[in-house]
Amino acid sequence: MKPAPFAYAAPTTEDEVLDLLAEHGDEGKVIAGGQSLLPMLSMRLARPSVLIDLNGVAGLAGITEFDGGVAFGATTRERAAERSALVGDRLPVLAEALPLIGHEAIRNRGTIGGSIAHADASAELPAVAAVTDAQLVLRSRAGGERVLSAAEFFQGHYTTALADDELLTEVRIPGSPPGAGWAFTEVARRHGDFALVGVAAMVVLDDAGSVEAARLCLMGVADVPLRLPAVEASLAGQPVSADTVAAAATDAVAGLELASDVHGSGDFRRHLAEVTVRRALTTAADRAGAPA
Amino acid sequence: MTEVGARAVGASVRRVEDPRILTGRGRYLDDVVLPGMLHAAFLRSYAPHGRLLSVDVAEALELPGVVAVYTGADMQRLTEPGKPGVIAGMDQMPGMALPASYGLAVDKVRHVGDPIALVVAESRYLAEDALELIEVDIEPLEAVVSYADALDPAKPPLFEEVGSNLAFQMELPLGDVDGAFARADRVLTATISVHRHHPNPMETRGIVASWDSAAQKLTLHASTQSPHMLRLLLPPQIGVPMEQIRVLAADVGGGFGLKNSVFREDVAVAAAAKDLGRPVKWVEDRLEHLATGGHAREEKADVELAVTDDGRIIGARLDLVLNVGAYLADPFPGSTMAMAAVMFFQGPMKLEALGAKATSVFSNKATYVSYRGPWATGDFLRERSLDIVARELGLDPVEVRRRNYVVRDESPLAMLTGTPYLGVTTRECLEEAVRLLDVPAFRERQEAARAEGRYLGLGLAAYLEGAPPPKTNGERQADIVGDETTYLAVDERGRVVITTRQQPHGQGHQTTLAQVAADELGVRFTDIDVLWGDTDITPVALIGTGGSRAATMANGSVLHGSRALKAKVLALAAELLEADAGDLELADSTVSVRGTPGIALPLAELARIVATEPERLPDGVDADLRITEVFDGGEGGWSGGVHACVVEVDVETGLVAFERYVVVEDCGLPVNPAIVEGQIRGGVAQAVGAVLLEHAAYDEDGQFVAASFLDYLMPTSTLVPDIEVHHVQTVLNDPDVNFRGVGEGGMIVAPAAITSAIEDALAPFGAQVREQHLPPSRILELVGTVPVR
Amino acid sequence: MTSPLTSTDISLRVNGEERSATADVRTTLADFLREGLGLTGTHLGCEHGVCGACTVLLDGAAVRSCLLLAVQARGAEVTTVEGLAEGDRLHPVQQAFHDSHAFQCGFCTPGFVMTTVALLAEEPTPSRERIRECLSGNVCRCTGYQSIVDGVALAASRDAG
Ligand SMILES: Cc1cc2nc3c(=O)[nH]c(=O)nc-3n(C[C@H](O)[C@H](O)[C@H](O)COP(=O)(O)OP(=O)(O)OC[C@H]3O[C@@H](n4cnc5c(N)ncnc54)[C@H](O)[C@@H]3O)c2cc1C
Ligand code: FES
Ligand code: FES
Repeated sequence: MKPAPFAYAAPTTEDEVLDLLAEHGDEGKVIAGGQSLLPMLSMRLARPSVLIDLNGVAGLAGITEFDGGVAFGATTRERAAERSALVGDRLPVLAEALPLIGHEAIRNRGTIGGSIAHADASAELPAVAAVTDAQLVLRSRAGGERVLSAAEFFQGHYTTALADDELLTEVRIPGSPPGAGWAFTEVARRHGDFALVGVAAMVVLDDAGSVEAARLCLMGVADVPLRLPAVEASLAGQPVSADTVAAAATDAVAGLELASDVHGSGDFRRHLAEVTVRRALTTAADRAGAPA
Repeated sequence: MTEVGARAVGASVRRVEDPRILTGRGRYLDDVVLPGMLHAAFLRSYAPHGRLLSVDVAEALELPGVVAVYTGADMQRLTEPGKPGVIAGMDQMPGMALPASYGLAVDKVRHVGDPIALVVAESRYLAEDALELIEVDIEPLEAVVSYADALDPAKPPLFEEVGSNLAFQMELPLGDVDGAFARADRVLTATISVHRHHPNPMETRGIVASWDSAAQKLTLHASTQSPHMLRLLLPPQIGVPMEQIRVLAADVGGGFGLKNSVFREDVAVAAAAKDLGRPVKWVEDRLEHLATGGHAREEKADVELAVTDDGRIIGARLDLVLNVGAYLADPFPGSTMAMAAVMFFQGPMKLEALGAKATSVFSNKATYVSYRGPWATGDFLRERSLDIVARELGLDPVEVRRRNYVVRDESPLAMLTGTPYLGVTTRECLEEAVRLLDVPAFRERQEAARAEGRYLGLGLAAYLEGAPPPKTNGERQADIVGDETTYLAVDERGRVVITTRQQPHGQGHQTTLAQVAADELGVRFTDIDVLWGDTDITPVALIGTGGSRAATMANGSVLHGSRALKAKVLALAAELLEADAGDLELADSTVSVRGTPGIALPLAELARIVATEPERLPDGVDADLRITEVFDGGEGGWSGGVHACVVEVDVETGLVAFERYVVVEDCGLPVNPAIVEGQIRGGVAQAVGAVLLEHAAYDEDGQFVAASFLDYLMPTSTLVPDIEVHHVQTVLNDPDVNFRGVGEGGMIVAPAAITSAIEDALAPFGAQVREQHLPPSRILELVGTVPVR
Repeated sequence: MTSPLTSTDISLRVNGEERSATADVRTTLADFLREGLGLTGTHLGCEHGVCGACTVLLDGAAVRSCLLLAVQARGAEVTTVEGLAEGDRLHPVQQAFHDSHAFQCGFCTPGFVMTTVALLAEEPTPSRERIRECLSGNVCRCTGYQSIVDGVALAASRDAG
């Protein structure tokens, strides 16, 4: 289990990274925290000719305010985000999701940008990006800068809109609507494992205690983080009750086509998804101030 | 946290081995570095079953840094095929198929991971580069995966010379089986299964082989439970006689039965090192280990129980099939475990008759190895059966166990096999467990919780662990692993040196054997050295450490040897002190004369005189302070006890959490309670893994699907609960040696206790647990919310 | 522009000493420590980031040395299990593990010790539950974890006392 040979570059500026990416194209690969890439290199599932290390690039990591929310430089460590007071304050759903990623030693290296660029269908941060309507900033020599929504960015399991010569430089997460209650709930077989299913949810209540707005994103049930606009819309105007929530959960999983794997059947995963949607919506509604 | 006090035995003495391990100075297999050492990697089959048409290594040989590439054809040239089980006498057993095989696949591949070629290169990195350059052509054959496949005569046999996929078959009629069924009030049936999972020690397999052509000596550094086993088994295969082989094993990172085998990879690496005349290191990586390191426990049994209306199982019929995989483990083929499992079905149960059929079948899966209580499926069948009876008759499982477990000193006094129930305290342990968990109070709590939609369950199970079992009719049953020999000596510095055939791999023998010797000899604990892991100096043994034998066998051997050595020391001291040996005592590493303060002869001084001033010794006196102690196990006896636990099942997600786990056990006198408890807890943790997480799964085509630590889930610290261990010491069988083994018990009984608790929790859903593996997906099937796959 | 390397001199501080060796850039930090520097206390249990046996401190933070290239640690301060004791005096975490019988075969131990050192540096008095959570990224096949949790708790209590 040793990586195949490659050449290694340690650029110190974003410009150098973009030059290297332009030069090496699909033969080049950036490495951020390496917490997904190193296992793939060691199993020889990834075999770039040139590895471009982002860790020494000045200014690529950092946590700043953005539109009532927070912007993360791509190489911001997951653990740094977890410890950030700004994140705790403004992005409760991210704060709740971060500790569910692997273990501390992994989050000490793993990066926000790396997780999103990696686009594992069972990863928390892509789901957070989708539910928060995050903006993903991509740059390349040839194409300059473009800013994509999560829906545009995530295209499949391990597949994104990133071109071979493109770098994800920033993840911008806008602030929440006022009064929003958030929840990130998942089911994993062991603490720290990639979850079987996970759900990010947001609920905003109106003065009457009915749902004014809701957001819902499932992970682990499709090859991309799955926002459910129809279910979100159908929740609007409904009173918060066990029945409403249960109906939304049933709707949420109704159309899912799920394959079986070593952990269980597709039916099993659908059932877990339904349970988890219910739990996440209930928690989010509670946090939005719904009466218990 | 205990200092060594007046008596070392019975105290949780801190381990002698710890400081080196804690500071990173332990020496495990991968830490061995020899001058000029090369690194090996195996090319392994991606196909479950097929004809190996060609292996082209030309391009791999061209790669700079590659020294050699071996294939099956090279193995045919350099080695003889291994005949598994022969040294343990398995070829004498009727119904046993023992196909031979080479270190590398020759004409067929028989499971995913079957080694096809061996690359030897300057580094492991380069060796893996070369693997990618080898071209292999395999013509696929139909895969034999399930029990049904293996028993289907239409499927291709794995080994043509065997003619079918039957590896072993025997019948075991004990008592009047038909009579018992005739007397039964009802007959209950069930099919009960245990899934494939495996020992998975944190240190994988590995070996460093080095051939000294001048001395004509092969030195093997091994990660093994038994260095002598390698030396006994390899000679016929690699053509180097035993006298020319030395096996060394220092720290070993866990074994759990797995490392009581000689593997095909060992043969291939040893042959390569001899061929090249340079040291070769092979360290298995985790992916290799998961797929091919050695699996265990794939059994299924049709059980028929002859039951009386008062809840007694008076007779049973078992038809058990074990899926042994492709290549047989050597020297203990897994196929024999089918027999061991049915023989242990009785355990501490007052069974009157047992009719068992045990079958083992070959399949395109990895080798079945021993795993901590290799017969434990027998115990699982018994404990599941007791729960089945309880549910059928509407009795509490505790009550059913009271009625079925033997009572000390009451009939029956022996198992159906004739082995006495000497010192069996199952009932005492059961009552203590019931008291600790306050079962009646639990039942009330369980009711209340159910009303709130929370599902608690209580489970319990009992076991016996022969370590070694008591003598039958005054005789010890023929034991293939034999008596325990230990060498003891006082060296020229006055230190006591114990040379053991045990091969510790976590059990702390460096500490425990010294504890026993310190007490028996009157020598300071710190004046004792324990040597192991070098076949040039240690007594021969087919099993080094395994089978829960060390507690009785090794401690007993050291105890008796220490007494003999002490007698020698005192006799010699009597000459030097001109005193009567009977007036002398040895304490604190010093000989003194009772009642005469001031006269003292430190052991170091005695040893110095023997070594440097022999003229001071009277003529003809025996100054040879060495003992060879051979211990047969004495009266032996059972370890055993009851495990009981309370779980909570989240019936929406299928996740299980432990509320409490209690062990009540009787292992006689624990030499070092912290070590004993550690062995028990470690076994329970493995059982938690077995039931909730671990499954070495193959798909129906024979592809291996639990191939990384993301798919083969090991239990971790948030799942395994604190485990309370309570000791019951009731009976001392032997006048001297009452230390009994605990190495396997935890893993033997805990799967039964845990599954029993889960079934109890799911009782409102009418769940019938008939298998050992209960991952969330299966639990939701039992609850009825997810269709059965 | 930066030109990619295939092999390079790697200098870093390990356990307080400047160390350097030449290595192929694909060498993991774990292999570099073990083979390049002869520090075999850091163990490899899985090489894919799951078992924690290879845990070391990189500039004070616990990381998996199998998931880091040696070349990425250039100029960093690495602490391995060999760097904790002072002469014959065990580090308080090592001493507490010794006192608690916190391991059996010891293969996993270096990883648990390093994880614990990092934990207690940040959280001197973790609850038992928090200890279990923090250790959950390390696999031990022998102990069932209880004695390890005891060892961590003992180290914490002594430090606090
Ligand atoms: C044992 C274990 C458990 C884990 N558990 C979880 C879990 O539960 N949930 C979870 O979400 N993750 C988990 N992870 C993965 C972890 O979160 C990773 O850190 C993360 O997915 C990838 O981030 P990274 O910075 O390490 O990326 P890397 O491994 O460095 O890179 C991953 C991929 O993204 C690309 N990439 C990285 N950065 C950029 C960029 N800025 N622009 C363009 N491409 C880029 C790389 O080229 C590579 O293809 C686990 C990992 C391990 C080893
Ligand atoms: S060896 Fe690095 S985590 Fe297992
Ligand atoms: S002590 Fe053996 S793996 Fe932990």
